[in-house]
Amino acid sequence: MKANITRRKFMAATGGVAAGLTAFGATPSKLFADEKTVKIGFLAALTGDAAGWGLPGLYGVEIWAEQINAAGGLDMGGEKYKVEIISYDDEFDAVKATVGAKKLLFEDEVSIVLMLGITPVQAVKDFMTRNKMLTTTLVPTDISEDAPYLFAPVEVHPFYNVTAVDYIARNMPHIKTAAIATQNDELGLSSLATYRAAFEVAGIEIIEENLFGFEVTDFAPVVSKLIAANPDVITWDTAYPDYVNLLTEQAYLQGYKGQFVNCTLDQYEHIMSKTSKEFLEGFLWQFPDLDDPIMQGGGTHFDNAAAFYQTYNERYPGAWTAVSWEYAAALEMWRSAVSQAGTFDPPAVAEALRSLSPVPHAFGDAEWWGEDFFGVNSAALGKWPVVQMQNGKAVIVEMGDVRAWCDQHLDVLKKHFIELGVPLAG
Amino acid sequence: MFSRTHRNIAGLAVVLAVVCVLPFILRPYQLDFLIFMFINIILVVSYRFIAITGEFSLAHAVIMGVGAYASALLAALPISPWISMPLGGVAAAAIAYILSFPLFRMKGFYFLIGSFAAAEAIRLCWVQFIDPFGGFRGLRRIPVLEIDLGELLYIDLGAPVPYYFFALIVGLICLFVMYRIEHSRYGFVFHAVHHKDTLAQSVGVDVRRFRTIAFVTGGFFAGIAGAMVAHYVTAINPGLFGLKQMLFVLVWVLVGGMGHFAGPIIGVTVLSIIDESLRGLDELRPGFYGLVLIATVLFLPEGLVSLPRKVLQWSTWLWNRGGGTLVKRE
Repeated sequence: MKANITRRKFMAATGGVAAGLTAFGATPSKLFADEKTVKIGFLAALTGDAAGWGLPGLYGVEIWAEQINAAGGLDMGGEKYKVEIISYDDEFDAVKATVGAKKLLFEDEVSIVLMLGITPVQAVKDFMTRNKMLTTTLVPTDISEDAPYLFAPVEVHPFYNVTAVDYIARNMPHIKTAAIATQNDELGLSSLATYRAAFEVAGIEIIEENLFGFEVTDFAPVVSKLIAANPDVITWDTAYPDYVNLLTEQAYLQGYKGQFVNCTLDQYEHIMSKTSKEFLEGFLWQFPDLDDPIMQGGGTHFDNAAAFYQTYNERYPGAWTAVSWEYAAALEMWRSAVSQAGTFDPPAVAEALRSLSPVPHAFGDAEWWGEDFFGVNSAALGKWPVVQMQNGKAVIVEMGDVRAWCDQHLDVLKKHFIELGVPLAG
Repeated sequence: MFSRTHRNIAGLAVVLAVVCVLPFILRPYQLDFLIFMFINIILVVSYRFIAITGEFSLAHAVIMGVGAYASALLAALPISPWISMPLGGVAAAAIAYILSFPLFRMKGFYFLIGSFAAAEAIRLCWVQFIDPFGGFRGLRRIPVLEIDLGELLYIDLGAPVPYYFFALIVGLICLFVMYRIEHSRYGFVFHAVHHKDTLAQSVGVDVRRFRTIAFVTGGFFAGIAGAMVAHYVTAINPGLFGLKQMLFVLVWVLVGGMGHFAGPIIGVTVLSIIDESLRGLDELRPGFYGLVLIATVLFLPEGLVSLPRKVLQWSTWLWNRGGGTLVKRE
């Protein structure tokens, strides 16, 4: 068939396509012309080993933004702003985090950047200070005096781990010995220092410790060694979620009958399916389901906690983890600071955030803390729940007072950090 | 008309003109992307420099890290970063030289595994010896490069635009040196050692010596790349130079093509751009990235560098199939 396209037809068709594209492109701008938007940056691992503590958080932040937008937007100075989440996968890598921070701040012009912590935060720290980039971390030991725009507004890892041990000391007097296993990295070591301090204060003797490397794939010998010491309580410290799954499963297979206390128990339904409801009964850890009755008001500061939890589980079944709500909770606090500052300008919001007293933490009123530890009061420390497995469901059994414990036993805590060579500040 | 050399020089001049203009058009984030791409280009070309002698090392990312750590530690003494950076390269070359003794007693698969084990040993030293390496957290507050001539001139190379030009210049110097070595008599011996090592040995070539020279030279340039990362990011840790980074180096080199000097450069450039442009896909990104890799390996086993030749072959085939005219769709 002979092609029958003349120059005239070609020009007409091109003009038509161009006009169509222009109209297509113009329509959304016109529709949203009157809509003001505030952008929020999410700079954490969405792929790779640390994605388990990034991606579920992004899901949570997106649900939080949807809920805000559905209610008309974020209120600032009497005006409503739509919330837009812009994510950048830092792959838990310092170089990617550096590039991502620049993209989010200079290109997307975000008002706040939510980060996971450790390596990427360390890499971005000088940049955030130079450019006054308001940033949140889930790891308070990232905080240091030279980073005035870095806050740990929600998670105070590993300090809150003391509350469950304190609960054991008061409610389970038969527990006298403990055994610990975790991965040998910064997360594991800082948590180990905290557990050592908590057990020392509680009068519980640590009779076995095992710091394993990332090359370990068979956890049977690790668990065997712990069980052989016959401890009253076992902790996996702050092991990565996959490790907690495998270690707990091993303990079940090897017939361990004692108590567990741990930092996390992510996707516990999955662990239960590998072990049993009876085996996990009484397991203590630190991260509640947000549909817990204690989280519905009564001094806590996470709006629509149950609705958030329900939406999350409907949309991402089985994906709920320790961090699912934390980045969103950081935004809740940021919203309070924005409301007080009357602007989205990061330095002004940082100042407003720092002036909040009490700090409206998701688990109740808190105060900025850390001068005696990190050199600056940038971590919101207050109450933190002790969660127990009861009949196959996470139940908050107590709101432990982390701040009171830290104020009382700071020397013990610092001693164990120094002994393990874990830096106190970032 | 113009000779091939003239055309190549003209093409290179155009490319250089474009890369010199880019910093004034692009935004800081895009400049950062290009800066790390230049650094990665030094890394992969230096890797190919070793691989042309016939041995694939899994220690290259760690050797890069040696350069980064050495430069950062020296800068903390304090030694000017302008001096610590080349010394970082020297330290990396020195470690490569020490490693060459046990490693070049092995060949092929054994060399590969041996280099991996040696690299892990070094990496674990960074993790275990908190003093001076900083453990898992690594080193922070590494000084950025500055040009400080008092009242006369001050340039902070920590900013994207100056560092872009710095990375570009250092990158071009490194590439030029490696290109010249590869196309010298030494380079020909490297190729001979790869393809016909027994024959080369029979005519008096000390195969092990030449492999060591390539390993140490490649290590020096990898160290320079590491020092460049350290003084730009200002924070390094063992994770930056782990197996993941090493796998990326292998993928860039193999997808770009080992057979040509430009292959790894094309590999890094194309794959980095694809990776960055797929960012919007979040967790689906590695899947798409994987598809690109599989497609390249399936259809372009000699790497992307062979694409123009392949396209020409396919066009010729289509032309001939259509009886001298290009096949038209009905």
